[in-house]
Amino acid sequence: MLKRTFLLCAMLLWALSLTATAQEIDKITFPKLNEFEIPKVEKIQLDNGMRIYLLPDKTLPLFNISVRINAGSWLEPADKAGLADLTATVMRTGGTRTWSGDEIDELLEGIGAAVETNMQDVEGGAFVNVLSEYVDTGLAVLTEVLRYPRFDQEKIDLALVQQRSNISRRNDEVGDIALREWRKLVYGPESPYARTVEYATLDNITREDLVAFHGQYIKPENIQIAVSGDFDKGKIVTKLKKLFGDWKRGSNDGLTPPPVTYDWRKKIYYAEKKDAKQSYIRIGHLGGLVKDPDYADKIVMNAILGGGFGSRLTDEVRTRLGLAYSAGGRYVSNFSYPGYFFAVASTDPGNTVKATRAMINEIKTMHTDPPTDMEMQKGKDGYLNSFVFNFDSQREIVNRIMSFDFYGLPENFLDMEKAGVQEVTKDAVLAASKRNLFPDSMIILVVGDSSKFDLPLDSIGWGAPEAVDIAIPAPKAADQAELQVNDANLGKGKEILARGIEAHGGMDAFAKVSTVTATVTLKLIMNGQEIPLGLKSWQQLPDNEKTELNAMGRMMVSVMLGDKGWQTNPQTGALEAMSPEDVASGQEDNARGTIRVFQAFNKPYYQAVYNGSGTVAGIPVDWVALVNDKGESFARFGFNTADGTHAAQSYIGQTPLGEGLLTETYSDLREFGGIKMPMVTSVEMNGQKVMEHKVSEYSVNAPIAAEVFAVPQ
Amino acid sequence: MKRTNLWLGLAVACLALLAAPLVFAFDYQKIEKTVSKHTLANGLRILVMERHEAPVASFVTYCDVGGVDDPKEYTGMAHMFEHMAFKGTQMVGTNDINAELAAMRVEDSLFYLLRAERKKGILADSTRLIELEKAFNEAIDKANEYVVANEFDNIFERNGAVGMNAGTGMDQTSYIMSLPSNKLELWMAMESARFKEPVLREMYRERNVIGEERRQTLENNPIMRAIDVLKSTAFTAHPYGISIVGHMSDINNYTRDAAKAFFEKYYVPSNMIIAVVGDVDPQQVFQLAEKYWGDIPYSPEPEPVATVEPEQQGERRVVLEDPAQPIFAAAWHIPEYTHPDFPAVQAMMDYLGQGRTSLLYKNLVKEKKIAADVGSFAGYPGSKYPTLALVYAMPAAEKSNPECEEQVYIEIERLKNELLSAEDVEEIKARAKAGFINGLVSNLGMASQLASAENDWGDWRALFRELDRINAVTAEDIQRVAKQYFTKNNRTVVYLNTVQS
Repeated sequence: MLKRTFLLCAMLLWALSLTATAQEIDKITFPKLNEFEIPKVEKIQLDNGMRIYLLPDKTLPLFNISVRINAGSWLEPADKAGLADLTATVMRTGGTRTWSGDEIDELLEGIGAAVETNMQDVEGGAFVNVLSEYVDTGLAVLTEVLRYPRFDQEKIDLALVQQRSNISRRNDEVGDIALREWRKLVYGPESPYARTVEYATLDNITREDLVAFHGQYIKPENIQIAVSGDFDKGKIVTKLKKLFGDWKRGSNDGLTPPPVTYDWRKKIYYAEKKDAKQSYIRIGHLGGLVKDPDYADKIVMNAILGGGFGSRLTDEVRTRLGLAYSAGGRYVSNFSYPGYFFAVASTDPGNTVKATRAMINEIKTMHTDPPTDMEMQKGKDGYLNSFVFNFDSQREIVNRIMSFDFYGLPENFLDMEKAGVQEVTKDAVLAASKRNLFPDSMIILVVGDSSKFDLPLDSIGWGAPEAVDIAIPAPKAADQAELQVNDANLGKGKEILARGIEAHGGMDAFAKVSTVTATVTLKLIMNGQEIPLGLKSWQQLPDNEKTELNAMGRMMVSVMLGDKGWQTNPQTGALEAMSPEDVASGQEDNARGTIRVFQAFNKPYYQAVYNGSGTVAGIPVDWVALVNDKGESFARFGFNTADGTHAAQSYIGQTPLGEGLLTETYSDLREFGGIKMPMVTSVEMNGQKVMEHKVSEYSVNAPIAAEVFAVPQ
Repeated sequence: MKRTNLWLGLAVACLALLAAPLVFAFDYQKIEKTVSKHTLANGLRILVMERHEAPVASFVTYCDVGGVDDPKEYTGMAHMFEHMAFKGTQMVGTNDINAELAAMRVEDSLFYLLRAERKKGILADSTRLIELEKAFNEAIDKANEYVVANEFDNIFERNGAVGMNAGTGMDQTSYIMSLPSNKLELWMAMESARFKEPVLREMYRERNVIGEERRQTLENNPIMRAIDVLKSTAFTAHPYGISIVGHMSDINNYTRDAAKAFFEKYYVPSNMIIAVVGDVDPQQVFQLAEKYWGDIPYSPEPEPVATVEPEQQGERRVVLEDPAQPIFAAAWHIPEYTHPDFPAVQAMMDYLGQGRTSLLYKNLVKEKKIAADVGSFAGYPGSKYPTLALVYAMPAAEKSNPECEEQVYIEIERLKNELLSAEDVEEIKARAKAGFINGLVSNLGMASQLASAENDWGDWRALFRELDRINAVTAEDIQRVAKQYFTKNNRTVVYLNTVQS
């Protein structure tokens, strides 16, 4: 009895405590927000067009400058993609009229200061961050970097090394791949807003290009400077006038980035990334501009559609279905060129189609389900109540005013935006969704491992997926000259090749070669680790070849008979017919063989074209490109300038480390049946040794047993 | 060791003439005077810093619990609970609490049955597994009917919250947000409620979200893959070796009872600190804290982790064969943050690998161009317990891990064999000072730093003594710690080597 009473009491108390808390939260009344004055930014324009914005803030002994430069990668030629970025980087690192780049590093880091520069698609920038006791150092470095960069070649080379490393690493993360390819799909692969830096575009950039880009665009009429922190307004203005007042105006009036042409379509794309542990999904289409008349409606629409917890995309895809950690979306409005609308999620590969469908459905609800009261509260009250956070940092305020001024927006643009949001209704959000979101004309991009998807992408109802190729185009050899097929080079190419054949035993000796058998020990070198392998090969010229590779106790066989080929399936161990791609690659390999090439001298099989001179492994060589009847160069042979022997060849090929520029160098020539062949071959990929190949047994014209070249069953 | 170039010297001299900067001392005491502290009877500590420039305030709830405290078979639990703390309370997040609690009990019992069957492995009854999974999923859907999704967030958000988030580390868990300052009482009411009466709703499906978080932040990220294997190799006993997010199998093993037991042990007021920085009145903050947090009963502070990592007996090397481009990283065991040697190790790491004038950047990036990026830092994966100093290099295209590794050791040997110049040491201190002052800018940054100083040293004033610790470091200290800790025997190395997938 007593027990029962206690239980009842406990339950009663519990119920009471619930009501108490409930009432408490509803009962809380909020005092009026303390009055505060929105600080006023002072604006000054110099005679040369440079604009200065000032907002002092004495709370901490810090001094900041943000520079906005009206230039960007949209101004660089497409075949020199990377130029704008390199220019900005080397302005800071490549030295100035007074200091070397290293000296600037020492100067700044010795006082814990930073001055940095950057360049994006339609906007460049620089910033200074110093303790206010070092204002003059910060200003001096900024002036030197903007006005007097000297672009030391050594620092251009360093920036190029870093750019090339970025290229080599750009497929390491799915999110990076998805964003890059998404921009290409929205703006078009040729658009300056979707430009991708390649090894080839970097190869086209010279120091003169950087000097010219700087000389043309980094000019006072293109520069705005926002100053914040602990400084004296009068003194800073005097200093800035002294440092920048005599800078001559350039000729950049009316620089406007190009418009966007968008191909509206309903289409699905995918990029294969075999090792992806998650699929990355982006869905959407072209977006809009800040100046659009319904911009305020879209602020509320965005909060409801995909702006974090409480938004439709996040609540459904993350919270309710548990399909993603990051799920959301936004209709992006830019200042200068249209942004894009996107929804995004990354999910277990086994949920790819499920998540994509869920995302599409949530986007569709924006047309069919008007916002609820709670959603309007999130969108409107959230915006209005957090409005004050636009004014809690002087640095942000002055930077924003600088940006508004550039785009011709009034200083009180935010107040206008706020007034707009106050007026937004449920109907307005629904209308804005119908006007701006087109769920039936969206593009979808999936990056991931398609073998692990829950269903084929076709099943989404967006048509057959189109593959997006993300392979990184390989760099060309450092010394590779532009191939020019003309009489002079044809004559010289043939001459070098003929001398090479002589040096290896002469045409007659090569004509007699019908078979070659070899036993080879191989070392595969990957990141400092060596893997020993054994190889045996039989060649029946011109087209038949068999190779047995002994890989740590397992045998891999490949057989090429004319235009057919077979190889071991590494999973089952069975000999299976090669795919057409593998056959083609096997034929290419055969076509590059030294004996095969020498035997075909003077036949219409290829043309030998002189392709410049260089050095391989310290040996000076003359390069001869072998060009087929389609005008394509399928191999480059390097001949020792001194003795005429075949010292090297280079080509684009596949290794376990991926695709790259392979260079084979040959040494230890020995004679067999009248021809001299190298016993040691060393292979480098992109300049790094990946394989060593040593012949232990070699015979020419030895009979080959019939079963070696029997057609595999 | 670093010799300033003559021209640079001249240039600095010219600047000095031109500018004649006033040498001034920043008045830390002035800032200290704006901070107040109050401790509730239940042990909760409240720190307030007044800043009246704008009518906003930032809030931090700092809990002295992290990945190191995860129970066996439930790695990642500290992080899991952090997610659950956003799911609401008895009042917030539900449309019928009684029906919901009943539905949650059904979820729990079905999960216990399902888990027991799954643990039988290949001997499990496959029909029963399918039935249980179906019933379990139905129970989750049923419980979901009573959920008002993300209501806890929504209330804050529509009241103007920005930057609402939380972070779990190996050592601590922090819940953060900023609000217009007139919403102080709302924060007190809501924040206290989630730690007074949390309802662990939607827990079983949230495990999938955490699984995706693991895939996204760890499995799909080559740097994190390398660092994860580095720390699990360096730590064989101490929980610093286990990732914060936990093992995937443990994530799928979580039960609501386990999460609740974890909460009850660690989320006690004596183990928590709240910090408020902004346009608030400290007396009002303390009064509201009494009102909303004062009724949480006292419970003793949980004990720290007892396990001590044994001394490493020789170099450990691990190779990750991976489709990504090469990464090299190495780590050495060093003492915890409060140890007297820690500032010297920090100074050494600054000089070794931070910034364009550091030894590693100058050698590997600028001169030899064998790395695209380098870095070094002290105190990973945590700093409450003896931890690691870490150095990494991202080889430039066509360059390799061994080339980078060789040069890293050459620079570390240099620090053992050559004494830094007085100027070098001064520059390290100048950087520390600038970094410290920049760290005072934001309200949120300030609140986080005050709370962690209070937690680590038992006194928030330690935050302003931090520079004194760095300023006491000498060139001899740096050389000594280099020799003492940066030995081959004490080292763990990871190579991420590229292989085609």
